[in-house]
Amino acid sequence: MLIVWVLVSGLIVSGFAFQRTLSTSLTLVLSLAILGIAVLGLWGAWTPALSGPELALTPLRSWFVLVLGVVAAMSSWYRFGYRQHDEAATAFWLPIFLVSMLGVMTAQTVWVFMTAWEVMAITSFFLVVSHHDRPGVIKAGFIYLVMSQLSAMAILSGFLLMAAQLHSMHFTVWAAEAKSLPLGMKSWIFGLLGLGFAIKSGVIPFHVWLPRAHPVAPAPVSSLMSGAMIKLGIFGIVQFLLIDLGTTNMVWPIVLLTAGAVSSLLGVLYALMEHDLKRLLAYHSIENIGIILLGLGVMDLGIDWHRPTLTVIGLVAALFHTLNHAIFKSQLFLAAGAVEQHTGTLDMEHLGGLVRTIPAVAIGFVMGSMAISALPPFNGFISEWLTFRGLLSIVSHSPALWGVFALGVALVLGLTGALAGMCFVKASGVIFLGQPRQQVKQAAVPKSMSWPILGLALASLGLGIFPGPMVRIIAGLEPGLSVHATMVLLPLHVLTLAVVLVAAAAGLALLSRFWEAREVPRWACGREAAPSMQFSSSSFTKAVRTTFAFIYQPHRNLARAGRYPRDFPARLVYRGGTTPTWERYLYRPGYRLAWTLSQYSTRIQAGPVRLYLSYLLVTIGIMLLALH
Amino acid sequence: MLWLVQIIGTVLAVGLAPLFVGVAQTVKARLQGRKGPSVLQGYWVLAKTWHKETTVPQYSSWVFRLAPSISLAALLVIAAMIPWGGTVPQAWPHNLLAVFFLLALERFWLGLAGMDSAGTFGGLGASRVTTLGTGIEPALLASFGILWVLSGHTSIQPIAPELERMTLGVLPWGLAALSYALVVLAEAGRLPVDNLDTHLELTMMHEATILEYNGRFLAESQLGIAIKLTAIIGLGWVWLGPQLGSPWANLGLRLVEVLISSAGLGWVESRFAKLRYFQVPTYLAMAAGIGMLAFYLVVSGGIT
Repeated sequence: MLIVWVLVSGLIVSGFAFQRTLSTSLTLVLSLAILGIAVLGLWGAWTPALSGPELALTPLRSWFVLVLGVVAAMSSWYRFGYRQHDEAATAFWLPIFLVSMLGVMTAQTVWVFMTAWEVMAITSFFLVVSHHDRPGVIKAGFIYLVMSQLSAMAILSGFLLMAAQLHSMHFTVWAAEAKSLPLGMKSWIFGLLGLGFAIKSGVIPFHVWLPRAHPVAPAPVSSLMSGAMIKLGIFGIVQFLLIDLGTTNMVWPIVLLTAGAVSSLLGVLYALMEHDLKRLLAYHSIENIGIILLGLGVMDLGIDWHRPTLTVIGLVAALFHTLNHAIFKSQLFLAAGAVEQHTGTLDMEHLGGLVRTIPAVAIGFVMGSMAISALPPFNGFISEWLTFRGLLSIVSHSPALWGVFALGVALVLGLTGALAGMCFVKASGVIFLGQPRQQVKQAAVPKSMSWPILGLALASLGLGIFPGPMVRIIAGLEPGLSVHATMVLLPLHVLTLAVVLVAAAAGLALLSRFWEAREVPRWACGREAAPSMQFSSSSFTKAVRTTFAFIYQPHRNLARAGRYPRDFPARLVYRGGTTPTWERYLYRPGYRLAWTLSQYSTRIQAGPVRLYLSYLLVTIGIMLLALH
Repeated sequence: MLWLVQIIGTVLAVGLAPLFVGVAQTVKARLQGRKGPSVLQGYWVLAKTWHKETTVPQYSSWVFRLAPSISLAALLVIAAMIPWGGTVPQAWPHNLLAVFFLLALERFWLGLAGMDSAGTFGGLGASRVTTLGTGIEPALLASFGILWVLSGHTSIQPIAPELERMTLGVLPWGLAALSYALVVLAEAGRLPVDNLDTHLELTMMHEATILEYNGRFLAESQLGIAIKLTAIIGLGWVWLGPQLGSPWANLGLRLVEVLISSAGLGWVESRFAKLRYFQVPTYLAMAAGIGMLAFYLVVSGGIT
């Protein structure tokens, strides 16, 4: 019942959209209620009181509700200071978006799940197009909507297939009986549902909507979409594909691991080439979804091989990274929103030196950068370490080819981590450090915007130093797996490591008397130093662009402009960039095909209602014949 | 007892690090027909820079002032995690992957410092060092590939005694050692990848990130690079070198091995020319490939 009340109260909160302070406060209260539900669910004793036939909370579902609650609370708090165009529309759709995500996670039947899923897709579409007067926003919104619907169709077909096999639309029945399905049928279900959830999570090659939709949305919405919404795809994969279906064909762990490796590597490679901060962060979401998938692949392998240690490590790595990514990614997106409000732009090439004007946001961003680059003592380090540990556990005690495959995936993960570190040295360095590259406007950033960022940064740090309780909770989510939980983190001694590291750094900093240093002009080979002499975002990544030219297919063009361009060019126009491979070679032909097919369909659509009625009649006749 | 060995080993490794670099420089000088500076030159330079006035470039922030301390702290923790006496105390962190992530931490702050110096050279160094890192990290993982399969976990701790019992033949060990040596040269900023002695803008990588540093910050950075060299060479010998019965003997043997390796480093540095920057990814891919080959020989040969 409690969940129903929260769902209904979400709709009520929407009604106050035109009163800014009241609406923001109520949204915050709603987010805290979601957080409270998650805590009650994880507590365990309250689970029966929360469960009903249509909506129920299991420990696993509570974990994802917790992820949603954390991001929602911080984003709602942030909205007190965040100024945007058309605030009432956002204030109207946001509560519905929040409760629809809660509905997806607590749904117990296909009907409730699909309704909540569609409401989530539609409300998030309206939130994405909040700034609809800016160029390109509507197009991005439509691409997002189309991909959402493809995802929903794939999920619905998978669900109906499963329901037809098990003669039930109820998820509790599935959890009990789906394991006994034949392997061939499991593969079909895995494929369809996996496709749907992969589209929603932005797994490459289904990622095209993500770097378009996230950047154009207002910052709190980007943070919610990246922190919580794409995690619902992960929730679907864990709940329906790994736990419900149980052992599957050995193809599927390979698919998960390959998709994870490809998404993480390509995600970070594309992120490196971005100059727009929010697009950069959006590509990093793809990367982190890839890392989560690697954990899930390890888990699936553990299930198929009946090796509980692998299952636990995979599950813990994936779910812990889900929470960690939600925390540091929403922190980074909120910081990006603060940068945009402060300067009016997100283009890195125009920024620089913001550490002096918005120091709190800069600290939050640098801490978030360290967390997402998996550096100790932050939380990203723990979950990426666990993913490595899972992959390397496959390496030993496995057939030779599996070992080579797993080591290869681990190397890809290592490369991904190093590239992420590089990308965030670039992002932090170009935006916050050095000298401002251009004169930009400097609007104030209120405390209600910087506190949520710093709060999330502290959460990253806290989870990085004390991961033990969280790891125990995750390992206890699925009964029967908890045996090995305490062993998972053992060889790391996180607390000692973090304390020694921080103490050494602090001691050295004091010893070096860092505050005692005279400021002098910087060295520019004896010339006057100018801000344009600093490395820009594109020059920073030049070597990577050259090394991975087979992926980027970079192009550049130097044109002469002016009245006599050949002999006396007034100025030179340089254009450079990389080729959007997936869009050009996969989506454009697909779009053309759909266009052509729809043109054929106009031939049978003349307009009269009687014609359509007869189509209906014929269809029903054919269906009756086929079923007969 | 183990604690005592570990503490003394760490202190010795950190304290002798400038000496090991000095040995490499002297060997290099002699092979080039020069007399070269004293092997203790590193200590004099550290003492001198530490007592000089410290300045920071205009437009830099707290990041620039804290980066040398954080980088050096990461390297000190790495040095403290190497099992100098063969094994480390159980309650002490002893994870190989933690070493990788700490190296990444050091590189991250080096890069930030470069970007914060607000000059051209800092950004250039930050770009080059982090690009180099993208090759080094997978190659380092690959060079340890043989360890993952043999030990089945990521702890440094029991690797050594377990490996003692393995008889794999010379080939996988040799390949793994070669792969690791190639990575060490790149990670420690040595020829043929980087040259710490030059400050020409076309060639410098690590030195470009710390070009604007002087005084106490420069001393920290220079001590850091020496500790890094000592620690990662020591880590290599922990799993490649022979294990003796007593922890003290192990510690002594490790230090002698690092000393010999430093002399060998001097020889390598005077034999090989610097690679072009854009050939370094190929070099590191080769190191990773050799590590994978060693790994494949082990898993396919059924030697486990």
